[in-house]
Parts: sequence; structure tokens; C-alpha cells
Amino acid sequence: MNGYNFAYLDEQTKRMIRRALLKAVAIPGYQVPFGGREMPMPYGWGTGGMQLTASILGAGDVLKVIDQGADDTTNAVSIRAFFERVAGVETTTATGTANVIQTRHRIPEAPLAPDQILVFQVPIPEPLRFIEPSEQETRLMHALEEYGVMQVKLYEDIARYGHIATTYAYPVKVDGRYVMDPSPIPKFDNPKLHQSDALMLFGAGREKRLYAIPPYTRVESLDFEDHPFEIQRWDESCALCGSRESFLDEVITDDAGGRMFVCSDTDYCLTRRGELA
Amino acid sequence: MPWPTLNDPVHDSQRLFRQLLAAMSEPGTRYTLDAPQPPDGEIGPALWGTLLTLCDLDTRVWLAPEWDTAALREALALHTGSRVTECAEEADFALVTPDTMGKGPDFSLGSDEYPDRSTTLLVVLDDLEGAEEWRLSGPGIADCRVLGLGAAARPLMARLIANQNHFPRGLDTILTCGARLAAIPRSTRIEEGA
Repeated sequence: MNGYNFAYLDEQTKRMIRRALLKAVAIPGYQVPFGGREMPMPYGWGTGGMQLTASILGAGDVLKVIDQGADDTTNAVSIRAFFERVAGVETTTATGTANVIQTRHRIPEAPLAPDQILVFQVPIPEPLRFIEPSEQETRLMHALEEYGVMQVKLYEDIARYGHIATTYAYPVKVDGRYVMDPSPIPKFDNPKLHQSDALMLFGAGREKRLYAIPPYTRVESLDFEDHPFEIQRWDESCALCGSRESFLDEVITDDAGGRMFVCSDTDYCLTRRGELA
Repeated sequence: MPWPTLNDPVHDSQRLFRQLLAAMSEPGTRYTLDAPQPPDGEIGPALWGTLLTLCDLDTRVWLAPEWDTAALREALALHTGSRVTECAEEADFALVTPDTMGKGPDFSLGSDEYPDRSTTLLVVLDDLEGAEEWRLSGPGIADCRVLGLGAAARPLMARLIANQNHFPRGLDTILTCGARLAAIPRSTRIEEGA
């Protein structure tokens, strides 16, 4: 492994992150500060998620990495190659065979199993940050459970557009206590956070925060009685596999207005096409 | 005789940590740890494995008087480098018995802003399969889970039930007996009886 410790991070850093992870699981949705290390890639490319993955990964684990649902995009390919090199672990693109799945901005379509761990890359962990720029203030707001301002933000959407216009990084309340940013997943994925079979860990490298949702935890998307939370729906189906249930990306195919909708989750789409063919 | 440590520190601590993470994620579920066994009469392998996995020179450990032996102090210093503290409130980890909790040392619950800055209890129990049943629910538990403990665990459980009133401040607990352990994080709601 070319002079690196297993999975790149040194053991003391892993222990520090591991202790923080146990606290994060014990206080679902609370952001635990940790001593984030510099990783051999820029902030914003998933350094937080990578540090968490490095701290939990074992030699026998099978790793999957997705970026916006796809296994074959630059970010996913790079991180997968990184862990193949510094940890020598087996990697896969099949959701069902992975123990650890690191993800940027999606939750796989296939239901996760109890022994799987999903690691999210998080750019800005603080859901209140765009409302209150001071870390000291947001910490106090979390301590006092002072979340009214978040409802006001959603209400402003309704006042302006007639509906809640937030479509990704849609705020959730975890176990009736902490308001949490689920990372920039589409709100389509929010229901998958609720009572999930799998443990979900969130890491923000630049902000040096990590948090967690244990399995079987109540996760509610914030809404109003007269404007209940809704997920995206499409009139189209996937042009490749025909799915009507999955999250679709719109792809421009030419410069004459041609377009198609395809599944964002490549493994889900390929599996379906394999079965359908 | 020097205490045993992990044969393969990198991979053994990773394996033990994943069991601790699973235990904390599914409160009340029992795990058996394959960890080195300290000499007879000292703490069990589950507790020793937990200390070896989580402690280092950044952590402070508080020891209950009945388990505070020169051998344990020496082993902790040699294998983990962690400091033993006499001040309960300073402790990151506290090695306790249910009786200790009845006497009530003031372990740190963390603050409202930083509830993670709290003590994690590592409890030595005589058995982890007792007849007195406790009903656990909350995050990590699909419906409810029943954990049977011995009558001796009663003062500890009374303290953990009171612990819930402070949420998000609070103590997180790892119960150990020999090679087995189970966890009760502060988010778990505990009721007596099945």
C-alpha cells in the first residue's frame, strides 16, 4: 500500500473520528465537531465523506461510491480508485453487494439492508446557515430548539410561489428534536431517511462536522398542514429502462430541443434493463 | 504480567469499532467481541477491547474504586496512553459498576450547545442475560426491544431513566459482561417491564 496506513488516515485520526461517530449516533441529527484532516483532494469533492469511510472501512468490506446516483462519474470513480489503492478493498457498483456506500447527493433506489452503512458527502451541514450566518447563534438555536425561522423560510416560498420551492437539501427533523440538513439529496429521497434499515452517516470535511441517523429513526420533512411535504413526480418514464418510480435526470440530446429522461441511479437502471432484456 | 493488546492494531480495532458502532446504532442488541483477555480477576475482554479501540492520549478515563488496580492503570498507560482522572466530570470514559451509579459521581452530561462533550459509561455487569426486563424504544429500534438484566443493574437503570430528562445532554452507556456487550445511548427511552 505504498507507505500509507490502511485506508490512508492514521490510527489516531480514525479513533478521534470513531469517538465522534459514536456520539453522533447517540444524538441523532446533532452535528458533532471533529478534527477534519486535509485529504489529497480539494474541499467540496467529498473529503468529509471520505474521512468517515476511511474510519469505518475494513479489509473485508465491499465499497460502492456514487455521485448523483451514478457509479461512473468523475467523483465516484476517483474515490473508488482511491480506496482500492490505499485500503485494497473490493469495490462494486451493485447496491445489493456493498457493505459501505459512499454517496454524493443521492440515496440508491434499491432498498438498503440492515448491515449496510450509507456515508453522505455534505457541503454545508448547518440547515440554518443561510438564515443565520453565525455559528455561535445557530448552535444556540439548536440548543433552544428554536426552529421557527426555518418554517418562516418555507412559508416565504409559499407566499412567493404558491408552494414550497425547496427541492433539494430539504430540511428534516430527526426523532422529533434536531432539524438537520440531509445533504443536497433531492427531496425525492427524503422519505428513504425515515425508518431506514441502514445506518446513515454524514461527513462535512470543510466545515469539520459529522452527524448520523441510526436505523429505524423517525425522520420528518418539515411542512405545513395545508401544504404537506411532497416529492417530485414526472409525467415521463425512464427512456432506457422504463421505470416510473425512480428519480429521473433530464438529458439534452442535441441542439434542436431534443431531450430524454433517464434514471439518475445507474445501477438501478442497468439492473432493470438486464431483467427486462 | 503485561496485559495483552490487539494482535493487529489496525484491523482489530476497526473490527471492534464496527461492533461498537452497530451496538450503539441498535440499542440493547448484544454483541460478542473477539478481544484479548486481561488476567483473571480483572475486567473482561469486551471492556478491555473497547478501551483499546477508543482510548488514546486525547482521552481521560475515570475508574471506579473497585476496578482501579495498578495493573489496569499500567496497561492503560502502556497500550493506549490515555490519562486516568480522579475528577468524574472531566472523564471521556468512565469505567463503572451499577453500584457506582447509585452513589452518583457527577459525570459530564455535555452542554446544551455541545451535548457530545459528555462521559461515555463503560459498565461492568455480572450478567447481561438477567430476569429483570427493560423495554427499550427510540432511534435504532424498529418497534421495541426487551433487554434482560440482573437485579444488580437496577441503580444504573434508574440513573439512565433519569438521564432521558436531560436530552440532548446525557450519558451514553456501554454495558459489558465478559466478552459480550450492549449499548444504551442517551436517545433510548427505557421503561421497566416487558
